[in-house]
Amino acid sequence: MRDYREMWQSLDMDLEKHDELCEVLPKFYSDIYLSQENRPEGMNYYNFVISEVHGLRIKELVNAKAENQKVVGTFCVYVPDEIINASNAISVGLCSGSDFWIPDGEKYLPRNTCPLVKSAVGAKVSGTCPYFQSCDMIVGETTCDGKKKAWEILEEHTNMYVMDLPQMKREKDYKHWKEEIFEFSSELSKLTGKELTVENLTDSINLINKKRETLQKLYEFRKLKELPISGKDVLLITQIAFYDNIERFIEKTEELIHELEKRVEEKVSVFDEDTPRILVTGTPMAVPNWKLHHLIETSGGAVVCEETCTGTRYFENLVDNTGKSLDEKVEALADRYMGINCACFTPNNGRTEDIIRLYEEYSANGVIYYSLPFCNTYAIEAKQVMDALEAKGIPVIHIESGYSLEDAGQVKTRLEAFFEMLRS
Amino acid sequence: MTYSYVLFPNHLEGLKLEKLLKERNIKYTITPAPRELSSCCGIAIRIKPELTKSIQSIVKNHGVSISGIQSLEVKSYFNI
Repeated sequence: MRDYREMWQSLDMDLEKHDELCEVLPKFYSDIYLSQENRPEGMNYYNFVISEVHGLRIKELVNAKAENQKVVGTFCVYVPDEIINASNAISVGLCSGSDFWIPDGEKYLPRNTCPLVKSAVGAKVSGTCPYFQSCDMIVGETTCDGKKKAWEILEEHTNMYVMDLPQMKREKDYKHWKEEIFEFSSELSKLTGKELTVENLTDSINLINKKRETLQKLYEFRKLKELPISGKDVLLITQIAFYDNIERFIEKTEELIHELEKRVEEKVSVFDEDTPRILVTGTPMAVPNWKLHHLIETSGGAVVCEETCTGTRYFENLVDNTGKSLDEKVEALADRYMGINCACFTPNNGRTEDIIRLYEEYSANGVIYYSLPFCNTYAIEAKQVMDALEAKGIPVIHIESGYSLEDAGQVKTRLEAFFEMLRS
Repeated sequence: MTYSYVLFPNHLEGLKLEKLLKERNIKYTITPAPRELSSCCGIAIRIKPELTKSIQSIVKNHGVSISGIQSLEVKSYFNI
């Protein structure tokens, strides 16, 4: 596929180094995903997306850019996709889930920075991620200290824009986030030449609500006693939702949902009957971070839900699209996004309430509190969340693990012991 | 476990074959092209080796352009 190489070259990528990445990904994906038994046929679409992750999707972005569309990279579920889409720009969630990029990230950041931040910086500075290379603007946000400082580094390498996310949820913070959304929209219109209007924002909210509804429908299958799809597969689908063409993603996921409905009728389950059902809560899992899910589902557990940014936080709650004016619509956007419960907020009791609610909704048997190393907000919040869960009699363990596979054996041992306890 | 991998010059040919296999209810898996078989990133279609001959005739009869069909033993690389 010579044309991809030319395309990558045109994006100013380090082809030699990128080739090393291309060497690893097929093997890693094959080990993790293609080793599963009895996957739904519809997963072939997501296999296709991953196979073409640096090929076809990038080509689509490059073609769109040639038609004067802009590509906007994001890192966080607080950045409103509706605004980007309404401005005729394409939003892509950026890669930051591989340890391949960490050595390059560590050239700029202290080693005791979380792997997600190091990986994101490494991906950009090494010129090996075509998504970063395609972006006309990258939107950061003030969620954690590591990210805030990383934006200052990335600013030297790309067109950065940073949204000031409040850290509390008072009335004035909601107002502030609404103002930030308006400012972001105005900055974006300078880039795209397209103003935000009631019409384009209404259409955009409808479309992205539809994507969220599709994911909600998909997650409904995970509440069933017989699970027609693995947790690992659903994680992949949610990750892909961040950067795939929205209409195609909805269409293909609806097709999969149709297949899953048939599986339910036929009582097909991809797990044995007594498999412990696990709710994972904590830090996001960016592509290709599939490690914890893989370890859980090869150690005797089934992941039934993720209370993470690559899980329910991404799609729960729709945006109220009934407002008539731009002001009302942006206020509805601010309200929806401020309803997400991230550990960067204080206090953040809503998150504990969410975990308990989801534990019940998905009939989970245990909770795994997952945090990436050096993620202070989530690591510190672990104690109060775990205390609250234990007070309710909910079994929970805390696993801190990065992208490297070095600790896989140790994590597996802890998981097996936890599942054994849940079964007894 | 050994599988046959159908390799393609581009994704469109891969999707063309996928459609034909779907219509015929033939089991297949879309997979990233294994590096042992192709130096390019992109898709391949993995099938059971016993289906190789019938796939070859589908490819021939429907003018799907492929870069070859090769067999490869699937092994675990990362041992996790």
